[in-house]
Amino acid sequence: MAANVLIEELGPRGKMRVRIGTAAAAVLAILIAAWVYSELDSSGQLASERWTEMFSWSNFRFLREGMWGTLKAAAVAGALSLLFGFVLALMRLSDTTALRIFTVGWVELFRALPLLLMIFAVFFIDIELSGSGGATLGTFWSVVVALVLYNSAVFSEIFRAGVLSLPSGQTEAAQSVGMTYWQTMFTVVLPQAVRRMIPALVAAMATLTKDVSLGFVIGYAEFVRRGRGLRNFTEATNFQALLLVAVGYFIVVWLIAKGADILEKRQATTGKVRSADDPDDDAARGTAIADQIALSSGAG
Amino acid sequence: MSNWSEFLDTYQSAIIDATWLTVQVACISFAIAIVVGIIVVSFRVSPIPPLVAFATAFVALFRNTPLIVIMLLGLFGLGDVGLVFEFFPTAVVALGLYSGAYMAEALRAGINAVPQGQAEAGRALGLGFIQLMRYVVIPQSVRTVIAPIGNLWVANFKNTAVASAISVTELTGQSQRMFNDASAGVWRILFIVAGIYLLFLIPTGFVFRALESRYAIKR
Repeated sequence: MAANVLIEELGPRGKMRVRIGTAAAAVLAILIAAWVYSELDSSGQLASERWTEMFSWSNFRFLREGMWGTLKAAAVAGALSLLFGFVLALMRLSDTTALRIFTVGWVELFRALPLLLMIFAVFFIDIELSGSGGATLGTFWSVVVALVLYNSAVFSEIFRAGVLSLPSGQTEAAQSVGMTYWQTMFTVVLPQAVRRMIPALVAAMATLTKDVSLGFVIGYAEFVRRGRGLRNFTEATNFQALLLVAVGYFIVVWLIAKGADILEKRQATTGKVRSADDPDDDAARGTAIADQIALSSGAG
Repeated sequence: MSNWSEFLDTYQSAIIDATWLTVQVACISFAIAIVVGIIVVSFRVSPIPPLVAFATAFVALFRNTPLIVIMLLGLFGLGDVGLVFEFFPTAVVALGLYSGAYMAEALRAGINAVPQGQAEAGRALGLGFIQLMRYVVIPQSVRTVIAPIGNLWVANFKNTAVASAISVTELTGQSQRMFNDASAGVWRILFIVAGIYLLFLIPTGFVFRALESRYAIKR
C-alpha cells in the first residue's frame, strides 16, 4: 500500500525493472535456500530421527504442560496487571497530589527496569525474606509478580491515554447535569474509554505472553524450558528443540497480536472510536495513520 | 559482608565492567537495528514482490518470537548446525535483528503518516522518486519517527538484559551473580543496579522528548 503512495503507476520500463528485480531476488532466495539445506545436511541436522521422535505422544504431553505453563502465567499476570493498571490510572487521574506523585514514580520506575532484572529481583528477594525455610513464592509467582510490576505500569499508561483521548465535552456535559466525579468516571468516561483502548490492551497482552519466556532463567517450567528439555530424552539437538520452541511461541503471540490488529481495524473503519496514542504499539500507530488518511482526504 | 564499603570493595570493578558491557551491547545492537530497519523498510515499500514478502515475514517473525529464544537459537541452535559464534557477537546481532524488526515498523509508520497528497503534489511538480523522498517524504516522516525511535532505544537498552541468558555478563547478568552471593544483600544490589539503569534511561528520555518538541513546531 505504501508503494502505491510513493511510486507512480509504472510504465513499460518500470515494469521491466520490477520483473528483473523479482527474478534476481527469486534466484538469490533459491541460492540461500540451497546453502541452508547443504549446511543442515552436512551437519546431520536433517536426519529423520532427529525430527520424528520429537512428535511422539508422550513428548506432546510434556510440551503441552510447558505451553500450559506459559499461558497460565500470561493469563494470571494479565488479569492482575489489568486490575492494578486500572487502579494506578485512576490514582494518577485523581486530584490528590500525593497519589499522582506515587503513581508517576511507580510507572516511571517499573517501565525503566529490564523485566529480566525484576524477575531475578523478585525471585531472590523472596528467598531472602523466606529465610531458611526456602522460597515461599516459587518460580511461577516470581515470574507473575515481576510481570505484574512491569505491566501494571504499561497498562495504566494505556488506560490513562484512553481516558485522556476522550473529548473534554463528555466530562463537562456529565458534570453540568450534576454528576459527581465517580459517576462521571464510571457511567460516562470509562465505558467509552475502555472501548478505545481494547486493541492496545490486547497488543500489550501479546507482548506479556512473549515475556513469560524470560521465566526460563529462574527455572519456571514454561515452553522454552520444556522445549529444551526434549534434548534429554530424544535425538533432537538444540537446533530442532529451539526451532520447535520458536514456532510454538510464534503461533501463540502472533494469534494474540493478530486479534489486536483485527479489533483495531474494525474500530478504525467504523470511525467511531480511536485507541490510545502510544507510539510504541501497532494498534495505536495504525489508528494514527487512519487519522492522517481521514484528515488528508477530508481536507482534499 | 554487612556494609557498603565491603560490598563495593568486592564488586565495584565488576559492576563497572558490567555497565560498560551493557552500554556496548546497547549501542552496537542499536546501530545494527538502524541499518536492518532501513534495509527492511526499503524492501517493504519497494515494488518488487519477493522483497516485500521477505520484509513482511522478517518483521512478523522477529516481533512475535521471544528475544530469549532468538538468542538461544543463534547460539546453541546454529552451534549444532556447525555455525559456532562467540557469546557477545551472537547477543548483539540477535538483539540488533530483534530491534531492527521494530525499527522497520516504526520507519514504515513514519512514511505512511505523510499524507498522500504530499507525494502527489511532489510528483505534480515533476520530482523523481529520489527527489520526492529527499525533499518531501523523509523530512516530514523524520519528525513522526523521533518518538517511536526514542521508545525503541529505551526498549533496546532494557533488552540488553536478555544477553545474560547466553553468558554475556552485563549488568543484569552481574546482578544475578551477586544475588547468588547471599552475603552481598539483595536490596543493596537492587538499589545500585536499578540506579545505574535509571541513570542511563532517564536522561535519554529527556533528550528524545526535547528533540520531539524541537521538531514538532516546525511541522
